Amino acid sequence: MRSDSSLFSNRWLPILLVTPLMLLIVLFFYVPVFQAFYWSFFLEQPFGGSSEFVGLDNFRRVLSDPEFWKAGARTIVFMLSASSLAVALPLILAIAADRKIRLSLPARNVLVWPKGVAGASIGVVFAFIFNPFVGLMAPLNQMFPGIWAPGIDGTDAFLTLVMAHVWSGIPFNFVILLAGLRSIPHTMYQAAAMDGAGPWRRILDVQLPLIMPQLFLTLVLEFTESITSAFALIDTITGGGPGGSTTLLVYKIYVDGFRGYDLSGASTQTAILMVFVLALAACQFAFIGRRINYER
Amino acid sequence: MIENARSINIAAGLILAIGMIYIIGPLYLTLSTASQSFEDMLRNGLAWYPGDQLLVNMGKIFTETRIPIQMFNSLIVASSNAFATCVLSLLSAYAIVYFRIRWAGVIFALILATIMLPLDIRVITTYQVASNIFSPLNAVLDVTGLNLLIASAFGAPVHLELSVLNTHFGLVAPLVAHGTGTFLFRQFFLTLPKDLFKAARMDGAGPIRFLFDILLPLSRASFAALFVLTFLSGWTQYLWPLVGASTPDMQTAVVGLARLVPDADGQVPDFPMIMAGAVLVSLVPLSMIALLQRYLVQGLVLSEK
Amino acid sequence: MTAIDSAIRAAAAQIELIGVTKAYDAKTVVIPPMDVVLRPGEFTVILGPSGCGKSTLLQMIAGLERVSGGKIILGGREVQDLEPKHRGCAMVFQNYALYPHMTVAENMAYSLKVAGVSKPDRALRVATVAKMLGLADYLERKPGQLSGGQRQRVAIGRAIIREPGVLLFDEPLSNLDAQLRHDMRIELADLHRRIGATSVFVTHDQVEAMTLADRILILNKGRVEQFDTPKVIYHHPASVFVAKFIGAPPMNILDVTGDGTALRLADGQAVARSTRTGRFQLGIRPEDVAAGPGGPITATIRYREDLGSHEIIEADLCGQQLRIATPFGAEIDASSTLSLSFPTVRLHLFDGETGMAIADAFEEPQAVRQSVKVHL
Repeated sequence: MRSDSSLFSNRWLPILLVTPLMLLIVLFFYVPVFQAFYWSFFLEQPFGGSSEFVGLDNFRRVLSDPEFWKAGARTIVFMLSASSLAVALPLILAIAADRKIRLSLPARNVLVWPKGVAGASIGVVFAFIFNPFVGLMAPLNQMFPGIWAPGIDGTDAFLTLVMAHVWSGIPFNFVILLAGLRSIPHTMYQAAAMDGAGPWRRILDVQLPLIMPQLFLTLVLEFTESITSAFALIDTITGGGPGGSTTLLVYKIYVDGFRGYDLSGASTQTAILMVFVLALAACQFAFIGRRINYER
Repeated sequence: MIENARSINIAAGLILAIGMIYIIGPLYLTLSTASQSFEDMLRNGLAWYPGDQLLVNMGKIFTETRIPIQMFNSLIVASSNAFATCVLSLLSAYAIVYFRIRWAGVIFALILATIMLPLDIRVITTYQVASNIFSPLNAVLDVTGLNLLIASAFGAPVHLELSVLNTHFGLVAPLVAHGTGTFLFRQFFLTLPKDLFKAARMDGAGPIRFLFDILLPLSRASFAALFVLTFLSGWTQYLWPLVGASTPDMQTAVVGLARLVPDADGQVPDFPMIMAGAVLVSLVPLSMIALLQRYLVQGLVLSEK
Repeated sequence: MTAIDSAIRAAAAQIELIGVTKAYDAKTVVIPPMDVVLRPGEFTVILGPSGCGKSTLLQMIAGLERVSGGKIILGGREVQDLEPKHRGCAMVFQNYALYPHMTVAENMAYSLKVAGVSKPDRALRVATVAKMLGLADYLERKPGQLSGGQRQRVAIGRAIIREPGVLLFDEPLSNLDAQLRHDMRIELADLHRRIGATSVFVTHDQVEAMTLADRILILNKGRVEQFDTPKVIYHHPASVFVAKFIGAPPMNILDVTGDGTALRLADGQAVARSTRTGRFQLGIRPEDVAAGPGGPITATIRYREDLGSHEIIEADLCGQQLRIATPFGAEIDASSTLSLSFPTVRLHLFDGETGMAIADAFEEPQAVRQSVKVHL
């Protein structure tokens, strides 16, 4: 900003104003982030005591652990399946709710409710609903025993996770995408109609291209979200099982760190996960973000 | 516009109906199961119709579990998270937008970067910091060699220790260390006409007066939106309260609810009671959404721009 | 003058700018050092195209922009380093800048509240100003419930309620429609007469400048082109820039060469007698061009616009554009070529290089307007 000489020129007041938040952010964000990287080069004793510099040993150990690679692969599978569903479904709903029909008002209301239900709460609920003995699938299980067994079959457990995750993710993505749709000027539709595009056609030719920024944004946020928020669902629905088939990286870090007291291993994995998340966001911004900026 | 949009409208209606069933279905099943007795549930499985045991099951939650006190914890955590986030974000955004400071861009970038790496990813080391919030200070003293100096002068190095684990402060503080609020207020401030600020300066308002007389009243809607958003986020947190509080009396309701499900596989837990707990735990945030939906939607949209 | 009028009356302050300059860095100098004195109670209009630095100048007087150098003296006090609130200025903003969450009364009283004026005194002053501006019925409304003209009045009320020694206006009328702008202009002139504060009014609208100003300060790229009364600026523009900027349609400027006997166009046609030699720019206002048979100059008509009361004829004069405004009621019968004459008393001569006016360029003394006869 150029004409900034009209701003307040106090020297100490702005420092005073940002200090409380900056203090918290340094203490609970930058120090932990730094420490995760720092510890990944040290062997930490779980109950304090001295630590020992081990160079890249921790990385060697983690990267040679097949469990780490499996958890990583599951994280990516979950990320791709759950987040694409968690964007696609709200997108379809938003396009439907953007039409002037009777159901669109109640739908706009109902579809934000999950925002008020904790991941862990809905996890508990889904664990019950998809319980093979008393849940939704129980009658089916009686007819075809073993067709739905999330306690034994990893795929069933994974599916339950995805369904719960999509359920939780609807409000944010729906609201953002609907806001994007509603900001499209009405004349744009009229122009498309004059050009002969019917309502179905306009979804593809007008609506989707014009909400690309929002779509891109929800996808970026959803990727990070699916990596982290899965924890509450895993912990309440599957506990990482059966047989580790739903142990995503974020859950493995928790288990290694808080149950196995392997602080160095957990920190190393944290560091790797952070780099992955940052690189992912950077890639998305670099490759996709550039193409979808329209002048309106 | 005159056009035949029947087919698309029917399709849209159908999609919305399915979407609503997807959302409401689990909530309804929660409620209907919560109103069954344990025996009925064992006998009939999923309850499609509400029964008459809701109050009994809720009573069990009140008498047999720690959910009531944990809901109190949740209330404290959620409202102080919301309040602290709103106030601290407002102040920092105010400093960044309305003061001539050279480091404003750097500070804003530092604050904004927190959005990239959520708390759940860095939980291990955040836990370590929370177990002694002076550990960074100790480390700085050690690394800079100041402690050697102090040790030679006073006989012992400085080593301070203060754990915030198992405290309300400890449960809230890492949640507040987040940039969304600052971002939201900054965006809002930038939409205000610059002349408004100049007019206030001509009227003689200094930084404090401008903040309280002009900026705060104008920010009310943004404040409310952020408050609702951060309250809900504080209430629904899981991983941090799980590790940040170890005694049942300090845990939050969501953690307490998850703990109601026995870890052992095999036997069917008392789902009606658990579902009654789920209803109770979700009651506060859901009624907040019902009452303040406008602000929630606004908050979600604002936090994105 | 009524009692209410006299209740709001400012002790007008003199504004002195001594070497005031504004530069963002060595390359972008918005305003080179400037010396100007605005007399107490004077209504000065700062006029210039957008980007000429006029708003910057105003904001430096107000204290909203820092000066890069020089002194600003208001009422004998050196103020360039003071906060806006200590300068005794009030300002009316382009987009009103009313506080949307306050009522009209609260908006107007806010500066008094900040200054610690007691509540009953504030109410009294608000009532006085509201009556003066015809806002008495709207005091409890919020700005969002007012029309554009009413908001403008509130913005003015907010400025004058402090009885400031200096009143600053930053293009305050530019958001109003044509009719309202006209009405507000009259009101502002009347208000200034009654309050008497030294007023500085920034605009790019020459009609506002001509009708409101005691003196007009014309800025071009941060430099003062001319600072004088509207009459002098119209009749004796100090430069080609001023000549082109004031008057609608603007003054015709022709490139001419003096050969010692006459000023000639490129094709040798003489347009005026002069003993000067060299390259010049010759200015003549469209309404001063005399069109009719017998004129010594020949131009080709490009097109004509009939405005009812008079006609604007756009003609080609030896490759240069010439606009002619016909006198009221005059009928000009020409179809393609036009005979013209340039009355010498109406001519302005500017230096071909610098564009600065050359005083007493023609031997005959500049006469007053009424003596000119229109030849038909």
